[in-house]
Amino acid sequence: MQEILPSLLKQLGLLVIERRDDTSLQCLSRAPDWFLQGLQRADNQYSGSEVFSQQTLGCAFPFLENFLYDAEPVWQGEHTNTQAQSGLWTETDDQGKDMQLEARALKLDQHNLLLIENVSHAFEERHAIYQKARDIALVNEKLISELSIRQRKLQSDIEKHLSQNQPLTTLSDSVEKTPSAVLVCQPDGDVELYNRALVNIYEVDEKQGLTGRSLMDKWVTEAEKHHPEVGRTIKAGSYWEGEFESTDSAGDKKWIRLCIGPVKNEAGGINHWVCIANDLSDYRTISEGWGSISDYDYNTHLPNRRQFWKHITALLESEKQSDETIALLYLDLDYFKRINDDHGHFAGDFLLGTMAARLSRNIKHGDYIAHLGGDEFVILLRYIDDPEDVVSIGERILVTISEPINLDGTPLKVTASVGIALSPLAETEAPDLLKHADLAMYSAKELGRGQVRMYTPDLERNMPRRSQREHEILQAIEAQQFLLEFQPQIALQASGKPRVEALIRWEHPQHGRLPPNEFIGIAEETGSVVPIGDWVLHTACSQGKRWLEDQHPVHIAVNISTKQLRHPDFLAKLKRTLNHTQFPPGLLELEITESSFLKEMDHVIEVLKAVRSMGILVALDDFGSGFSSLNYLKRLPVDFLKIDRSFIHDLPEDNQSRAITTSVIHLAHQLNMKVIAEGVESPEQLAFLKRNQVDFAQGFYLFKPMASQRIDSVEWHAGSVNSPDN
Amino acid sequence: MSLIAKKVCMIGPFAVGKTSLVRQYVESLFSDKYHTTIGVKISKKQITCAEQPVQLMLWDIEGVDAFTELRASYLRGASGILLVVDGTRPATIKQIGELRSIVNAYLDDVPLIVLINKSDLLDQWHVDESELAKLRDEGIKVLETSAKTGAGVETAFMSLTQNMLER
Repeated sequence: MQEILPSLLKQLGLLVIERRDDTSLQCLSRAPDWFLQGLQRADNQYSGSEVFSQQTLGCAFPFLENFLYDAEPVWQGEHTNTQAQSGLWTETDDQGKDMQLEARALKLDQHNLLLIENVSHAFEERHAIYQKARDIALVNEKLISELSIRQRKLQSDIEKHLSQNQPLTTLSDSVEKTPSAVLVCQPDGDVELYNRALVNIYEVDEKQGLTGRSLMDKWVTEAEKHHPEVGRTIKAGSYWEGEFESTDSAGDKKWIRLCIGPVKNEAGGINHWVCIANDLSDYRTISEGWGSISDYDYNTHLPNRRQFWKHITALLESEKQSDETIALLYLDLDYFKRINDDHGHFAGDFLLGTMAARLSRNIKHGDYIAHLGGDEFVILLRYIDDPEDVVSIGERILVTISEPINLDGTPLKVTASVGIALSPLAETEAPDLLKHADLAMYSAKELGRGQVRMYTPDLERNMPRRSQREHEILQAIEAQQFLLEFQPQIALQASGKPRVEALIRWEHPQHGRLPPNEFIGIAEETGSVVPIGDWVLHTACSQGKRWLEDQHPVHIAVNISTKQLRHPDFLAKLKRTLNHTQFPPGLLELEITESSFLKEMDHVIEVLKAVRSMGILVALDDFGSGFSSLNYLKRLPVDFLKIDRSFIHDLPEDNQSRAITTSVIHLAHQLNMKVIAEGVESPEQLAFLKRNQVDFAQGFYLFKPMASQRIDSVEWHAGSVNSPDN
Repeated sequence: MSLIAKKVCMIGPFAVGKTSLVRQYVESLFSDKYHTTIGVKISKKQITCAEQPVQLMLWDIEGVDAFTELRASYLRGASGILLVVDGTRPATIKQIGELRSIVNAYLDDVPLIVLINKSDLLDQWHVDESELAKLRDEGIKVLETSAKTGAGVETAFMSLTQNMLER
């Protein structure tokens, strides 16, 4: 047997080499010609001996030189029979003939072995399989990509249909024909509409049908295993899409791609949920077995949620004994949906791609970043010594994110909210870590966005707060818990007529008086900002009328949200309010922000022209805070420009703020606009503004917002203001 | 000056022309017939760059796709990366980020140039300039090449070699 062994190994195309204790290598079987020629080419001194150095091998075969690094841990390991495999590589012999080879390192009975196998004989067949398999994968990838687009469009079409209060019955035919599973249900989950595709995917008993909220709950529960944020997202009334493993009524596993979106009413309440699902089991079975391309997000080019789970699971598995601490940063872009709505999905994708690139630049070698989907990213940091370092990194990321980005020629400033969770590696449970970071991010959103928040256990107790807040806002309108305060705007250049800005407050039954930043953000997201805005307008006009009846005419500025301004009934409501309250339009001023013009600028301009034709004045609020573009300024039918408080804050010391402020004042006057400075907090600021011809000033140094009854006490000219009202 | 060796890895999605670029550069040959690479093939080319003789070890690594991940261990010791995509297949351009993240996770600050190959097929060219602009904003050099005509090929390898020598 011993005698035929060399011939057998040669027949098998197998070369056996032992790595000896002195690190030299020795052929244990007869070396083929191509191998010996390679060694001779690399080392003139090589004599054809069975023993040669690793360096000679490395020079002759650079691929093997690289593989020796992978082999070494196997040879150094305490366990026998562990192996490392090189993968296939091609060498060309002296006659120009290609050979396909594979190497393997193993430890056997304390012998460190390197096996080199010539696999050329099987290569053609393998090659043909790969060629065909690649074609199939390309087709699959294309199909899934097209399916995702179709799902979103179908969901959006149905949402639009239901938003216009059209009956469900008019949808039945078209929904029935679609190959995607469709489920429309009420907020409590009661099924209103489903189609045959849903029956087919879930093997639902048609006679029994679908009742109760079981299917939507089931999906959310199943999806939460892969996507811990699903429950929270749905509870907050937001859109979600993703893939997860589901079980049908026959107990069979399916890989489902689902998108769920709410249909909201004017008050921001949810009327329906629309769910679109497709069974991707066939595609995923193939790609699961084969590879990695579905591990990366197509748009941002970052690892996706699937890859993130693989990565963190592998990390926790390999570092069980480690005493290092890791940090997970969960980042969510603020108001992304609004940007998507205003600028379109292509711009949204561009924004995500740009943000992904910026985030990638901000992490160091060894850290890990993934795009979980939507506008959510995670960054995994290792070797954390001090939690404050992580907070600093989070803050640095926020600065990077907020650099202006050009969307459709409009410079846009985007902010993000970041949640941080820390955990010792050895004690980390991946789902908990993600959930904690998500909760902290959510808390950062609640605190006003654009900030970093560290996870603490008490966040868990406060989690339902936002959902609660949404519900409370809707109730607050009914319960008349909102009230207005009025902040005087003082004339700086001449004796001015009385002017105030109406500011909303919420007299919360448990938390006391809340400023707008505690609830307007949520109201904007849920749509309840429209009825709130209507209430503000009506209440301000009613108060103005009362002042007028007291022989005290006061010019009132009212903030109008973008959603309000774009509402199709806005002008009609405005007229009704003026008619109803009998407040003269000439005493009303509407304050709008630059974001109002981001979409449908021509339409908004027409609305504002109609507003002015009624005799109402228009002010552009927060000028300079976000999207400032001087290009559009000359087109806007605006009477007043309000310089953002961020510029006033640094006056008069800061050179740049001085230069910007004086330029804006000059520009506004050239365009026949009057200038209002808000956020005036010191006599120096006031003196600077007065000296530079600002027309009106508003701020705590002059007057805090006050109840309507106190307006009588205000002196309306700066010359009369000697001391702050606080 | 003594000869120095530099390992260059050719990476990219499959069928973008990595092997053809190496063949064009090393042997001045091109074949229209697509023959997919499995595993790795290493070619060598000796050049002189800024009077420095350099032996380029060109690792032509199997394209990344649904079946094959880029084995990061193949990148070990690389002095430069040529990330090749196909200007006629937008999907391959979308994979630049994925491949870069693998490279960045494994290598510290190694010169990388993105090659948009098949520039001879201008009638089928589908390159989203905003994608390239993002890369350039990040300081990534992007060059167009044609393995078929040889356009840009010499420049690409020479440019990477210069970058490697500057490190």
